[in-house]
Amino acid sequence: MTFLIRTLDITASGREIRRERPSPAPTLTVGRAAENDIHLADLAVEQHHILIDALPDGMVSVTALGTLGFGLDGAVVTEGTIDPRTGGEIALGSARLVVTREGEQIAVTIRQVAEDEGKHDALRGFALASVLPSKRAMSWALAGAILLMLLMVPVASHLLRTPAKPDPTGKTPGVVLMDSAWTSGELSLKHHSLENNCESCHVNAFESVQDETCLSCHKDTGDHAPMGRLAKGMPALSAGDAIQWKIGESLGKEGPLGCVSCHSEHEGPVRTASGNEAFCSNCHDSLDTRLTDTQLANAHDFGKAHPQFRPLYFASFGAAKPVRAAPGTVPVERSGLKFPHDVHMNARGGAARMAVSLKQYGKPLECADCHVLTADRISFKEVNMEQSCEACHSLVSGRIAGGGFTKLRHGDLKHLAEDLAKISTGPRPALAPGRQRPGQLGSASPYRADFGRPVRAYIGISNALSTGGVCTECHLPTTGPSGQADLMPVNFPDRFLSSGYFNHEAHKKQECTDCHAATTSKAASDLLMPDLKSCRTCHLGASAVKTKKIVPSDCAMCHAYHVPSGQWQQKGPAPHYRPPPLPVATPPPAKVAQMRK
Amino acid sequence: MNAPASRSRFREAEKRRDSDHVSFLRHKGFRWLWIALLLSGASALGYALIDQQPRPNGGTWYGYTLGTIGLGLILWLTMLGVRKRRINPGAWSLKAWTSAHVYLGLSLVVVGTLHTGFQIGWNVHTLAYVLMLLVIATGIYGVVVYAVLPARMSDNRREMTRAQMLDALTALDRQLESAAQPLARDEADLVLAALKQSPFAGGLLARLTGRYPGCATARARKGMAGDSEAEQRVRALLEKRLAQLGQLREALRIRAALEVWLFLHVPLTMALIAALTAHVISVFYYW
Repeated sequence: MTFLIRTLDITASGREIRRERPSPAPTLTVGRAAENDIHLADLAVEQHHILIDALPDGMVSVTALGTLGFGLDGAVVTEGTIDPRTGGEIALGSARLVVTREGEQIAVTIRQVAEDEGKHDALRGFALASVLPSKRAMSWALAGAILLMLLMVPVASHLLRTPAKPDPTGKTPGVVLMDSAWTSGELSLKHHSLENNCESCHVNAFESVQDETCLSCHKDTGDHAPMGRLAKGMPALSAGDAIQWKIGESLGKEGPLGCVSCHSEHEGPVRTASGNEAFCSNCHDSLDTRLTDTQLANAHDFGKAHPQFRPLYFASFGAAKPVRAAPGTVPVERSGLKFPHDVHMNARGGAARMAVSLKQYGKPLECADCHVLTADRISFKEVNMEQSCEACHSLVSGRIAGGGFTKLRHGDLKHLAEDLAKISTGPRPALAPGRQRPGQLGSASPYRADFGRPVRAYIGISNALSTGGVCTECHLPTTGPSGQADLMPVNFPDRFLSSGYFNHEAHKKQECTDCHAATTSKAASDLLMPDLKSCRTCHLGASAVKTKKIVPSDCAMCHAYHVPSGQWQQKGPAPHYRPPPLPVATPPPAKVAQMRK
Repeated sequence: MNAPASRSRFREAEKRRDSDHVSFLRHKGFRWLWIALLLSGASALGYALIDQQPRPNGGTWYGYTLGTIGLGLILWLTMLGVRKRRINPGAWSLKAWTSAHVYLGLSLVVVGTLHTGFQIGWNVHTLAYVLMLLVIATGIYGVVVYAVLPARMSDNRREMTRAQMLDALTALDRQLESAAQPLARDEADLVLAALKQSPFAGGLLARLTGRYPGCATARARKGMAGDSEAEQRVRALLEKRLAQLGQLREALRIRAALEVWLFLHVPLTMALIAALTAHVISVFYYW
């Protein structure tokens, strides 16, 4: 196998000069020295750089003669093999020797190449940056989009809006754009209608939600206690909380007694939870140490530490206001009524027999015959004389000619006096049978009148009101301001346990007498309110273990924070605000007030 | 030799050893790993023990504390981009800085998550949190590929530099051009298309997957079906070119895998800082 050495040169005018010469030897030497078979005048080439050898199997081996390697198809090597059928390129300095097979010869074509000027730039193609936008551009785009949409748009539309009045119905949509992206969570169920109107609560920029804003809708909400006493009764804040409030308050936040400090919003579409036992006991377990003049005893757990109930009652007849039972005393109630519960409750007594004989009852009296639950099934209606008492304690005063009865009206002494006077003017039986004379008006005649002084009317009312009279069956006789006969006014508080909350409906499985000792009460002066012990047979503190009988009860089961308010309930209709109770008014002396449980 | 001198020489040697041969992950016996663990542990412990009323979230004093730490950390971690461009001597070596960057960055997962109080929603606050997690995730990916891929890259090169890979292609191209002279028009066009196509042709997806469906060389190889000597030769050369392209494309794939995280890490970091700005301002704007 022999070599054909072909040299390609370009002249200055760009013409290609092609020279060919055969080389009979099976090897070729390449180098800068003149005695080489291929002589390359290039300082980057060694004097004797490589040896090209045609192997018997048709391959060509290339070997570096010195320590310096050579380029073979791009890679720098010190020896290598070329298959002339596919060819190979040897790089030596600026010369490129292409080895190919041409018929029976192996052609070595030598040409000079210019140094690749753009090679360094080409290397940039290896970097990923060549196929991606720059990091800086992406950063600006992303950050800019976020700042624009989530900051500038809401702030600008908030600053440029016309502030609207808060709308408790929540039908007014908010005008601040994109601020829904600022919410930290859904609003509670009651406030859900305000979801699209952030600025209804967040009125001014960089100002925390103000109490004033809450109260613009929640007008009826009462304070737990006067603000000053609340602040004094509060235990000291933890160091962290103290610092936070100090900073917060210096920036206009309304302290730990502001609405939002307890009513934290954006906690999801849930019902606002009641305060737990710890929330109450936080202050109330040692309230007396801070609020030294308080009348409230300490409490922290209904089963372990809760003061005895102190029901409201009227301690003296006709008093203007009810008083609270002193701790540890047995209250003597001066309601102004006579009512022995035991007589009425005794299933074998006279009252029971009378009830059995009356169509209205048909059986011995029960509590519910007089005490009727209110519509909310929680409390009791006032006991009404006409409905609950009169069937037995009759006020019938006479017969009407056409059938039926007349009766004395109950409730107002003026009415009683009128009704009694009517009795005196009505037809009376003659004292003795007498023969009628012609011209004399008969007793059956409609033209009859008694023109005498109404002495009997006075006697009648005096009799009725004095001991043994019809009124004093139930009422206590007294005398009015000008010495006239009168009755003691009937006084009952609106609620006996005014600071707690008791749901009778929830206790309907119990008998009334389980808690109220009515069967043994001989006088109306017994205050039949159950005591703490009777509640604790079932109700223990929140940490108690729930059993079939024991009900773990936290403070919120009976108490509410804001007064006036009703009981907080987990389920059922939500509004637990009720109008404030009517002031406990003392009825005018002549007016017999109704009983109210 | 007296003891202090020996100790000082030991220190010198250690310092050099550290700066030369210890990875930033192991820097100073995992100093920053321990600091990051301490920070995470303390944050978690505080979260568990401190009674946050009414419930843990970013608005309690502890929440604000964690948020402030997190914000400070994020801003400081971002400064690595500035620090690495400043060549300056001093105790704060770039290696120490990088080590702290990695480990403190990881501790942000704990600090940031506790700051949220696990309250997640479709809002700017969670956007900031998610961006933070994405930045950290890309960072973790970056640390992993920096540990794994350079060895593969070196294997793939087979002692060729990037320039040599390109040179080899150029050499093959020159041979292809002369070998293709006898070919007919259709075959010549195939070779021409292969020669014309840049070795870097192909987008991000091609680089990341190493698949180049539009490769003209592969198409030319497929279309070179004849048996003539010229075609056989061109076919052999195209195969060599394909092999060379394969090596180059593998280099591109590894390089892309090595670099792609930074194209997410950096823009996401800037997006995170924007979202954090919106988060902090909005929280106090609607306080």
